[in-house]
Parts: sequence; C-alpha cells; structure tokens
Amino acid sequence: MALNPTPGLPPFEYIKPASLAEASAFLAEHAGEARPFMGGTDTFVRMRDKAWHDKFVVDVKNLEGMRNITFDPQNGLTIGAAVNMNQVAASPFAQEHYPLLVEAARSVASYQLRSRATIVGNICNASPAGDTLGASILLGGVLHVYGVDGERDEPLSEFFHGPGKTNLKPGDIATAVHFPLPPADAVGRYIKLNRNNDGDLAIVGVTVLGYPDSATASGFRFKIALASVAPVPLIATAAEDILANSPITDDTITAAAQAAMDASTPISDTRGSAEYRKLMVRNLVKRAVSDVWGKLQG
Amino acid sequence: MAHHTITLTVNGETEVVTVPAHMTLLEMIREELALTGTKNGCASGECGACTVLFNGEPVNSCMVLAVEADGATVTTVEGLAHDHQLDPLQEAFVESGAVQCGFCTPGMLISSKALLLRAPNPSDDEIREALVGNLCRCTGYVRIVDGVKKAVKIAAQSEE
Amino acid sequence: MVMAQTEKIPDLIGKSVPRIDVREKVTGAAIYADDIQFGKKLLYARVKRSPYPHALIKSIDTSKAEALPGVKAVVTGKDFPNRIGLYLKDKHIFALNRVRFVGEPVVGVAAVSEEIAEQALELIDVEYEVLEAVTDAVYGATPEAPIIHPKLGEYEVPNFIFPQPGTNISNHFKIRKGDTEAAFKECAAVVEKTIRVPHVQHVPIEPHVAIAQMDETGKVTLWASSQSPFAQRNLIAKTLGISQSDMRVIAPYVGGGFGCKAGVTMEAIPVAIATKVPGYPVKFRLTREEEFYTNFVRQGLTIKLKVGCDADGNLLAMENTMYWDGGASTEYGVNITRAGGYSSTGPYDIPNVKTDSLCVYTNHPIGGAYRGFGMSELHAGIGQVMDELANEIGMDKVEFHLKNVVQGGDTLATGMKMHPTGLSKCIEKVADAIEWGKKSPPSAPNKRRGKGIALMWKAPAMPPNPGSSAWVEFAEDGTVVVGVGGQEIGQGAFTVAAQMAAAALGVPMDWVRIAGPLDTQYSPYEWQTVASRLTWSMGNAVKRAAEDARQQILDMVAEAWDENVDDLDIVEGKVVSYKSERDISLKNIVIYGIPKENDQGWIGGPIIGRGKFMPTYVTGLDKETGQGQRAVVHYTTGAQALEVEVDLETGKIDVINAVSAFDMGRAINPDLVHMQMEGGFVQGLSSAIFEEMMLKDGYMQNPSFVDYRIATTTDIPKKMTTIIVEEPQDDGPWGARGVGEHPMVPTIAALANAVYDAVGVRLDGPPYSAERVYMAMLKAGVVK
Repeated sequence: MALNPTPGLPPFEYIKPASLAEASAFLAEHAGEARPFMGGTDTFVRMRDKAWHDKFVVDVKNLEGMRNITFDPQNGLTIGAAVNMNQVAASPFAQEHYPLLVEAARSVASYQLRSRATIVGNICNASPAGDTLGASILLGGVLHVYGVDGERDEPLSEFFHGPGKTNLKPGDIATAVHFPLPPADAVGRYIKLNRNNDGDLAIVGVTVLGYPDSATASGFRFKIALASVAPVPLIATAAEDILANSPITDDTITAAAQAAMDASTPISDTRGSAEYRKLMVRNLVKRAVSDVWGKLQG
Repeated sequence: MAHHTITLTVNGETEVVTVPAHMTLLEMIREELALTGTKNGCASGECGACTVLFNGEPVNSCMVLAVEADGATVTTVEGLAHDHQLDPLQEAFVESGAVQCGFCTPGMLISSKALLLRAPNPSDDEIREALVGNLCRCTGYVRIVDGVKKAVKIAAQSEE
Repeated sequence: MVMAQTEKIPDLIGKSVPRIDVREKVTGAAIYADDIQFGKKLLYARVKRSPYPHALIKSIDTSKAEALPGVKAVVTGKDFPNRIGLYLKDKHIFALNRVRFVGEPVVGVAAVSEEIAEQALELIDVEYEVLEAVTDAVYGATPEAPIIHPKLGEYEVPNFIFPQPGTNISNHFKIRKGDTEAAFKECAAVVEKTIRVPHVQHVPIEPHVAIAQMDETGKVTLWASSQSPFAQRNLIAKTLGISQSDMRVIAPYVGGGFGCKAGVTMEAIPVAIATKVPGYPVKFRLTREEEFYTNFVRQGLTIKLKVGCDADGNLLAMENTMYWDGGASTEYGVNITRAGGYSSTGPYDIPNVKTDSLCVYTNHPIGGAYRGFGMSELHAGIGQVMDELANEIGMDKVEFHLKNVVQGGDTLATGMKMHPTGLSKCIEKVADAIEWGKKSPPSAPNKRRGKGIALMWKAPAMPPNPGSSAWVEFAEDGTVVVGVGGQEIGQGAFTVAAQMAAAALGVPMDWVRIAGPLDTQYSPYEWQTVASRLTWSMGNAVKRAAEDARQQILDMVAEAWDENVDDLDIVEGKVVSYKSERDISLKNIVIYGIPKENDQGWIGGPIIGRGKFMPTYVTGLDKETGQGQRAVVHYTTGAQALEVEVDLETGKIDVINAVSAFDMGRAINPDLVHMQMEGGFVQGLSSAIFEEMMLKDGYMQNPSFVDYRIATTTDIPKKMTTIIVEEPQDDGPWGARGVGEHPMVPTIAALANAVYDAVGVRLDGPPYSAERVYMAMLKAGVVK
C-alpha cells in the first residue's frame, strides 16, 4: 500500500471504441500503456497508488453482449464482462443453479462497490484474494476472450499464473465467463474469513463444491479452492483426493483439511500471518467440507 | 488532454458538462455542479461518503469516471427531498438520531434509499449488510439502522 | 459558586430535544470546509514529505518545481523558522534541517491545480543523511538511544511540563505517595503486568482540509475543519509573526474530530504558503492515506503495572510506569503523559502509589489528542490488572470494584479531594443489566462465552485556566442568537448550547439559533473543543450570558411597568408579572426597548447578554511527588460490561451484549448522551478488536481503509444498553459534566476481561484480532 497516492486520478485518455475489433486493435497497438476498463474498482486504486501508469483507459463495457447474462438449460450460464456482481447475485438463474457463485459474489466488499465490480474483472485482475475466483474455477468456468487473433476460450483452471498474471495478452478483451451446468445435486460453500464480519478482503477464503460421483471410492467428489494462501487461487488437490478415496467421516475430513493446510503457501501481510492463514485453511476447510457434507446427506 | 462534453440528468435537472477523462463522477458533482452534499472521504471506494444513485444503483462516485455518466441519471442527497418535503428516510434519520457530525450521512441516506428501492421491508441483517460500505465514526451505527427501519414505517403510514 | 443541587431545574433541561443541525445535515445543505467555494483564483497546496523516519536534510533543490508552469509558490522550513506547539514548542511547520518521521512536511507547493502541485513535488530534489531511528519508546528513554531533539532544553514550555534535556524524555510526571515497597510486603496478592497499546488513528470520515488567504494588507483568513479555531489563531499567528487580531479563523461544521482537529497540525501549512501569494486562497486537503500517518495519531503506550491488595481485597499499593510513544513531536503529547500520570490509579482508592509517566520522543507519527486523551490506553492496563487481582484473591469482580472505587471525599493519589461521584451506581447498574454472574450457553459447540467488566474515570485535561465565553443577542421577532466559540463536531454542542440558552432565558427551544460558522472575528473566545469540556465550561458561559440578557430584559420591563424585578419572569418568550399579571412578548422590546407612557420617550435598547467561565481553582503539582491541592477540575466516571462469544476455530470475537453507564452529573439532553455512549462504545470496540497502525521501522504498513479496518455496521453488538447516572457537579451548568470521550475509555479492558472469562487467555494488548486471539489460544493449549 502506497504511502503517497495522488489525491485524484492521474491524467489519462478515455477511449470508447465502437467494436471489439477496434478495442482490441487499440489495446494491442498501445501495449503497456492501455488497459480495458470494466468496473475500475481495482484500476483506480492502483492508478492513485502510482502502480499503474496507463495513458489510455479503454471502456469496453458498452460493447455488444458485454452486459448480457444468459442461461441455457443445456449449456449453462454466460455472464457478460460488464455484468456487475449485484446483477449476478440477483439473477434467478444464478441463484437457482449456481448458488455458490452467488454466495461468493455477495461476499465481495460492499453493495455499492459490487454495483461496479464484475466477476470477469475479478478474474482478469487475478488477485489471490479474489472472492469469486474459487467458485469460478470449481464450477468449470471458461473465459471468452476476444484478441487480435480472434476469439478464444480460456478454461479458468489453467488461467492464473500469479498475482495479476494470467493468460491474457495485449489486445485481449475478456468478453464473458461461461459456466457449464453444475454436476447433479452439487452443494457449494464459500467461507470467507474477514477481519470485520463483512465488507472486507479475505484473510483466507475457502470454496468447496461437493457432489455425488459414482467414479470415486467415497461416492462423492469434493472440489476445494483456496483464496489468499498462494500466489494464485489454490486448488487443494491432495485434500480433494483424500475425500474421493476414503469414506467420508470426521477423520477423513480432518485429514483432508490437514492436506489443504499443508498445500497452502501463504505470505504474511497486513491482513494475517502465514502461520495463521495455514491454520485457518485447516479449520475452515474442515468447516466448509462438513457443511457441504451435511447438506449432501440431506 | 482531451475533454469530453457529456449530458446527464442530476436530481431531475439536465446538465451539460465538459470534463477531462480522469475526472471522477464525485469531482464533477462537487466541483463542476457545486453539489457539495456528496462527500469525499477516501477517494478509493472504501468509505461510502460519496455514494450516489447512478442509473438507480448505488455507486461510490469516486470510482466512476465523469465521462461514463454521459446519458446517465444521477441522484445525490440533494435530490432526495421534493418540494421542501423530506424523503421518509431523511425524516426517519432526523427522528432516530442517526446523525452526529453528518459527514457520512449523505452516503448513508443514498445507500439506504437504494436498499429500500430493492427491498422495501428489509430485515435488520439486510440493513446492516447494505450499509457495510458506509463508514461512520460517530454514531456506532445503531441509530442509523433504526432510522432505516423507521423510514419503512413512515413510508407505510404515508401510503395509508 | 451556586450549588447546582439547590437550583430549580428548568423543564428544558433533561429533555431530549432534536438536534438543531440535523435538517441541514440530512439534506446535504450543511457546509463543511471543503464545500466552501473560492472561485477561479483558488490554488491547491501539496506537500513533499520525508521518506525517512530520521535524517538530516543536506540540501533542497526546488528550482525545477518553481519553473513548472502553474506553480505559484514553493516553500521550505527556512521560510518559517519559528517553532509551534500547544504545550511544548518543539515543531516546525516544515522540517528545518532535520526530519523526524516518515511523512513530515519538507517542502510545500501551491499551484493552480492539485495535479500540477503533485507534478511539482516530483521535480523537487531533497538530499538526506539518514540517521538511526528510534522506533520504540522504552528504548528511546534509555541513554543509548539517539537524541531526536538535541535542543529540547531551549524549547518554550509551560511550568507544569518537565522535559529532560539531553534525553528523549520530553515530560516526566511523577507521583510519590506513601510507601509502595513496604505496602507490597503487606499484600496477600500482587499482580504484575505489561500491556502494549499500539498507535491508532482517529479516522474522522472527513479528512483534514484547510484553506488560507492573505490579503494585501497582511491580514490572514483561515477556513478549516477545526476543533480549535482560537488556538489555531493564537498559535499560527504567533509562529508566523502576525498579530492574533490580523488572523481570522472560520470553522464550519466538522465531519468528525475525535481530537485530531484540535491544536494545530496541517492547518499551518496553507497559512504559511498563503503568506507568499497574497490575494490567492490556498487550499490544502489531506488524502485519506495522509490522514492516517502525517497528522496527529493516538500515541502508543507501554504500561508496566504492579498492584496489590490484602486478603480482604482492599487495594494497598500500585506502581505504574508508562512509556508514551510520543512520536517526532510531543507538543501536545506531553500533556497526555501528564493526564495519564495524575489519573494513573484509575478510579480506585489506593493508599500507596508510585507513578512514572514518561513522554518519549520517537521517530513515529506525532501523537496528539484522541478521544479519551490517554485514558483508553491507561485503562487498558488498569482495567485488566484489577480483574486479575480479583481473580488472584478469588473475589467476585463486581464486589472487588465496589470495595475499591473512589468515593466522594476520598483523597486521590495527587492529594486532591474527590467530589461526589456515581461510580458505584454505574457499576451496580451495568452488573445488573448484563446479568453478572450468570453464564449463558454459547450459540454453537465451537464457541465459548464470557463476560467482562471494567471501570474508568477521566478529567478534562487542559491547562489550569482554559476559558469559555458566550453572548446572547436577539432579533426583532424575539428569537435568540447565541454566540459560542465551541465547535459542533457531531457531539451536539450547538444543540445543548441552544437548549441551555432557551432554558436560562425562558424562551421556547425553537426560538434559539447558534451563530455559525465559528469565526474568531465574531464568535466569543473558547479555548478548544476538546476534553469533554464544552457542556460544562461553555455551558456555564452560555447560561451566564442568557441569565445576563434575561436580567437586562427584566430590569427594562420592571422600569417600564414600575414593578419589582423579583415579581417578573420570562416564560415561553413572554415577560410576565406574577404581581400585576401583565405580560409582554419579547418581540420588538429586545431591540427597540419599551415606549414610556404618553409618548414620553423610551426605556431599554438592544439587549446583549454576555457570560464567561474559567476554572480558577486548579493548582500546580509538585514536580517530584505529584502532590497538590487540586490537580483537575473534576472526574467523569463510568463502567462498562460486555458479553462476548469467541470462535475457537478462528479466534473471532462476537460481542453479543454491551452495557455502559456513565455519570455525567446532569444529562442536559439525554438522547445526545445516549448517542455519545453508543458511538463511543463502538469506537472503543473498534480500537479493541481491529485497529492498529502497523509501524515497521517507522513506516506505516496500512495507511488505507483496505488495511486499517474500523468497525462497520455488521460488527456492532445486536444488544446495546446505555445508562445515565446523575451525581451533579457543583460548578457545572445545572450540575452537568462532559461525557463525550468517556464511553470508549473502559472498552479495551472490558473486552479483554470478557475474553479471559470466555477462553482463559489474555493478550499483551489490543487489538484483539481473530488472529491474535487464536494464536494466544493455541499457545495456551486452549485449541490445537
């Protein structure tokens, strides 16, 4: 956190392209000094902090399709890049089929910030603390990207490389995120440990998605993603395996929680020490898996 | 530096303003329109003192560019009362003792207004959640939450 | 002095009339300093700050900045060499030769926009020689520590502050009463404990802002978000060599003060710059980030306590050593150290006391007044050792407190006689409301519940003789305008002043206006809006001014009616005669007077009442023993009890019930008093659980709302009770004392004691963050 941010935003030009092609070309041409602009909730803070020095802010919110949220009973949910988190949380489709995503979105900051913040922006920003990243990955999210070479899909499971580091290249514009239908009878839970009770960044975030799966020894598949404990959203695969391979008991859950803790590599920062974060991964994975397990059993 | 001329509706009035690209909606409201009811408390989207309704939704106006408001409808605290008649929320804040120094009050009122627009009869928890992005250092929040509840009652009475 | 108890209490006193400023505030019409419009000539100031905690300034090159188009002035410490400070004059407006904390102003720039001023800062080169920094007060007080103020011995200082030149100790306050060493030998139980209270920030939602302009004749006007327009006029004028009468301070509504807008901090900067650009208004506003660490903060405290009692639980002795982390300047902080010293026993009657309260320079942000003025920090320690001592001897805590608290007539540790106080009643009431002694089951198997109680006292901490004054004037329609110099910072001072004036005059509440904004050119003198002193001190002045006006009106009417003044009264805005049963409205007569019969001339003239108040009885205290006749004007006391639930899996604390009771002598406006108790409690809770300026090698790690959290709507207890206790103050208006600061004072200890009751662990100090509680439970084996 910078000690001397500017009082207001530093000067830049505002570009409002007429098409994705125009936007992409502009961004590619001005690589390093232009960025696509969605909600601005992270962008503006970093600009004031003098961490980002972009000359151009390219407003892509109003391009075609960016504000759409659509659901197809066969294919799933598609959320345009400019759909804000409150709109996602209020969507009947999201509430019915992706309650985990809704729970994660609702945990972000404050209502008025969520009027601006978007799921796609959260993804592109790639903060290890991003609340909606875990749910987006576990739900099989795929990012639709428009780039200089045309459109492509980026599965989120392979998208993140570090804080702020993703597969996105200059000229890329994320246009939407798509989620397939969740597995039948899936149950999700996002537990976010804040300093305050609400409205804060995660000290640790634990996302769990569980569903019956005849292919596993336990008869269930649990997917676990962890926020704020590694440079990227961490998938606790060892913990997932334990819960797949042994009958689900308190001991199994405890072992899985321990495995999640062992896998996490948090840093110490102003929100929490590495040691505490690891312990909280253990305790909250246990809590989240137990919650999900309880609901799976009806 | 390119300037942009935008047209928007603020508290029911059409305004045409020329702004630089990096001017925030907050700066425009306060400095260009001289509507100083909306407050600047942090310039980073954390304190909520600058909350306004932007096309009906509450936003931190320090986190919105003025140029984005081209064609938009904005409501600030000055737009809550009509014909010298306080909005039920303002009335309720007065009656509940929800105001001390008053600096967070405009943002609190706007966030509360937005809540009541989407949930006309909110629970205690819904009120608290809706106001989590509006910091207050004076009141301890108790009477602000009371004020929102009272506004529901005042609005119901006036409809009867 | 009129004994308050024997006086008739008017109906308006004790009535919860609505705030008089509330309609402006809910409509957005209320004007704060940043809202004032200055037109196109307005310049903006920005400041280049020290990047080092401690360094010598070798050179400053401002030439490139001066050449930047749009820049109108560039100033440095050399332009303003005089020192400034409320108590100890140890500060410069801009650093001169040496910087002493990260963020200290080094160069000031005024330009046509904030952006250009910021660009100019980038063009300024400052060369430093970095020195070893002192970042711990206990170390700072040792002879090994580098000296931060080598010229301490030359600084101007009042006679009740005791600097030690050649050290970093800028004040050493001592109490030596009885023989603690011998007394400890008599004790059945002794508790020793060291508590560390971190620096915290006031966090008003309105950041500091000040605008200054000098006209061509050299007269200066300052518009500021200010708790202290008169102190600012005095100190800034003196430092800049301006006559106080040529400096005018205009102070509109303040968007939260809590002490940080008292004294002089950043307000001096635009004034200094404005003297270089006559005719131009110069605005300077702090960013939220600057607000966190460049202005006043609450000092850190390391407090070492030793306290003992006999087998019956009677307190016998206390030793209390306090190291206050005063920061780079202790101009204001020296008096916090003094206040911590004379109140160092807490509200307990202890026969043997040894206190050393040390104000220590460090290379940290500058400590200033903060709601409670040292008392929250002191009581964080006192409240916990008393709890532990009761545990040690196996006595119920409420019983222990009741046995040991100060009562009216007790001789305090300074030798002062205690006035009547309702503290015992406060204890009983909070114990009752929290159902003390009853354990309620937790809401979940992974949670534990506990209750805690803690007490407090606090005196207004000030020079011995801070004055208040007020005037009362009328408009033609009989409505009243009251001039005050005390500020409306949210506490309701204007409402209470209006209420008092209405009550003393005999007019309806809605006839009274307060003359605002405060303006030193027109408003009557008031020392500062601090120390919870307005209701009491300014209240006395307002009451006297209203009584003076009332007397003038009655004299006039008595003459006109040829009646005895004693038969006349003012009721609901009318002068009435109980003898002749005549009446006459104040309308017109308060300006034009009353015509004599048969057009034979007039009686009276414009009425203007005046009133003043200044305590005249506070004495000095002996430098070596802290003994004296009367250390302070009075103490407001109170108690708080909390019930908490601790999550064993995360360490998170949920406060489920909070009860406060305070004795403010007389609640002039009970609703406003309850609001102070609620808001103060939540601020205390916030400091107890969340808040800490994370200072690492002198650099604040968390200067933003993202990283410095305060309580939000979702953090407050579902149940909060506030209780008024009234034991009248002999020299308060209708018996009133202040209660603005007090509600946050006992909270840290009350919370700590409740957590201890729940899970059996204590921390070495706040904040009781989830992490710190969890790690303490882990260490103690409470959790695995």
